[in-house]
Amino acid sequence: MQTFLEVANVLLPLVYLLVAIDYGFVFFASAPFAERAATPSLRGAALLHLAYLVAATVYWRQFPAATVSQALSIVAFAVVVVYVFVEWHGRARSTGFWLVSLVFFFQLLSSLLTRPNPPDRAIFHDLFFSLHVSLALLGYAAFVVGAAYAFLYLQLYRDLKAGRFSTFYGKLPPLEVLERMMIGALWVGFVALTGAVVLGAVWAERLYHNGWLRDPKILFTLATWVLYAAALMLRRLHRWQGRQTALASLAGFGAILFSLMAVNFFFTDFHGFL
Amino acid sequence: MTQAILEAHASARPAPPLLLVGTDFRCSPIELRERVSYAKEDAEKALVHLLARSEIAEAFLLSTCNRTELYLQPRDEDGAYRAALDMIFLPRSEELERPGRLYVKRNGEAARHLLSVASGLESMVMGEPEILGQIKSASALAEAVGAEGPILKRLLRSAGEAGSRARQETGISSGAVSLGYATVELARQIFKGMDDCRVLLIGAGEIARSVARPLVERGARELKVANRGAERARQFLAEFPEAEAVPFDDRLAAVSEADLVIASTGADEPVLTRRQLKEAMRSRPPRPLLVVDLGVPRNVEPAAGKVENVFLHSIDSLEHLIQRNLKRRKEEVPRVEEIIEQELGHFHSWFRGLEAEPLVARLQKQAEKIRQQELAAALSRFPAETHQDLERLTRALVRKILHHPSSRLRARDGEDLSRLDLVRELFHLDDEES
Repeated sequence: MQTFLEVANVLLPLVYLLVAIDYGFVFFASAPFAERAATPSLRGAALLHLAYLVAATVYWRQFPAATVSQALSIVAFAVVVVYVFVEWHGRARSTGFWLVSLVFFFQLLSSLLTRPNPPDRAIFHDLFFSLHVSLALLGYAAFVVGAAYAFLYLQLYRDLKAGRFSTFYGKLPPLEVLERMMIGALWVGFVALTGAVVLGAVWAERLYHNGWLRDPKILFTLATWVLYAAALMLRRLHRWQGRQTALASLAGFGAILFSLMAVNFFFTDFHGFL
Repeated sequence: MTQAILEAHASARPAPPLLLVGTDFRCSPIELRERVSYAKEDAEKALVHLLARSEIAEAFLLSTCNRTELYLQPRDEDGAYRAALDMIFLPRSEELERPGRLYVKRNGEAARHLLSVASGLESMVMGEPEILGQIKSASALAEAVGAEGPILKRLLRSAGEAGSRARQETGISSGAVSLGYATVELARQIFKGMDDCRVLLIGAGEIARSVARPLVERGARELKVANRGAERARQFLAEFPEAEAVPFDDRLAAVSEADLVIASTGADEPVLTRRQLKEAMRSRPPRPLLVVDLGVPRNVEPAAGKVENVFLHSIDSLEHLIQRNLKRRKEEVPRVEEIIEQELGHFHSWFRGLEAEPLVARLQKQAEKIRQQELAAALSRFPAETHQDLERLTRALVRKILHHPSSRLRARDGEDLSRLDLVRELFHLDDEES
């Protein structure tokens, strides 16, 4: 089992890189061979990833989110699952390159940060806590998807504004569709993150009673939550157009990366596991 | 030895007998093309008269605004050419006799030209889709009057295949190349679908009408028109009964409810300013607004393009898009030419299959003659009760020996006619026939 985990840890970023290259051929060159190979290869990669996560759960006997590396891998997997659904539902591969590239990036970070023996934390055997972590990771994955669509939206927006008709023009879904996908992903992420924050607060209050709210990780997560809440509300109240929401989505994505990486490594002890 | 004979005969491959006489936009100005253009009834009569000539076996007349081409399957090429000139072209305009006005292509080249026309390579706007429908209509007319025989019928099938494949398998028809369709293309890149798109036209002149047509064809949800003059608005409504007229002074309120605004008035001053568009955007849900300014001088203040979620495109911007699409279509030409060669190959194979049939019959006849001669000589040496068995045995032998060569000769798999010549030579079939 350990050998499989070690091999899969190296193999997964490589596989995602190859799949991203294939989707790149689909997007930039409309190559028929790449069109044929794209979906099966992505689904194959997702199955390998699922096997890796199941094996990690069985081997370490805990929910595999005890380290930043494991959390990143789960976020990457969740993004793949969301994209596979989007592709199946929309019958279009035009955004695959960008999303699979993000998946590759997350999985590469995960593989590079892997520790041989993740800590065995009792809290990861707690169902309540596992639900908190699962919701947080689902929220992060949805925000990653939202950020990818926000990036594509902004590229197409700029092209259409300037009358440039570059690579993005004619290959991406219409601007309105990208906007709807972005906002849909942001709502899913926001609801999941809200659930994670509430569950986390109840759980922390039960365990630590006080002091936990001063933790930098929690403060930063709350700030991110406020950012997304403001963006979605302003949009809902018709104060913001698509471009402002897209910029907020990218800012939120930056905050998530910072929250997952820098805050975990440098500022927090209490929330060091994720 | 066999290879040497095959190679020796390969160069002498006969092509289907075809003759094309025609003129198009490259050879003749519009005034001349108009004169030589054939409406349906005229074309019908012309085909009937052509078929009455002994030099012509089959005929097909393609007449569009950009070309008039006559395809003939001649019995006598010189006579057919003369008939084409005297009956189709010169009676309409003697100027066509001047050098360079008409082109003439024969056999394989004529076939290749028709496939090229069907694929859109010979069109004024490369890859335009209408030509395929025009060929189909002309073909139906030729068939109805009995002018389309087996060779032209098969050639037109190949042309249809080439045209359809070129449009499905390559990008020769992709991207808009007219103002109207370029507007549709832009709208499709912004909005979820045209059926979700409410259109407001400011100005109801010629340009507005030409742009409105593709929008209606592609299913625009709503069409409103605001024009200063009531008469022109009425003309517009007569052409587009589904449209709704809006008073010109109420255009700003209409902008707030529209998704696509097309301005094409002759006004010297902008009919939409940045301030007005900003105001309109405030009073509507956060949806994009596409504004296409086709006026010269410009109808929309250029600074209006800076308003959030407003996409302002001028006539230059659309022209830029059209040129980009045309460039992309040109890049597809080699792929289309490949398809044309493949379909031309199928046509030639079919034609060679026609050639093979008489040869197979002669081969079987000769084998049967030999069988009967040899059997007659041998029967006297066998008891009478075995004669029937011998008859059956020799028939089965000949049939089995000839089965494979016959089916290979008939096969339309792209082999050249040297195979037929080889069989003629090996079995002395020409001598036998003579």
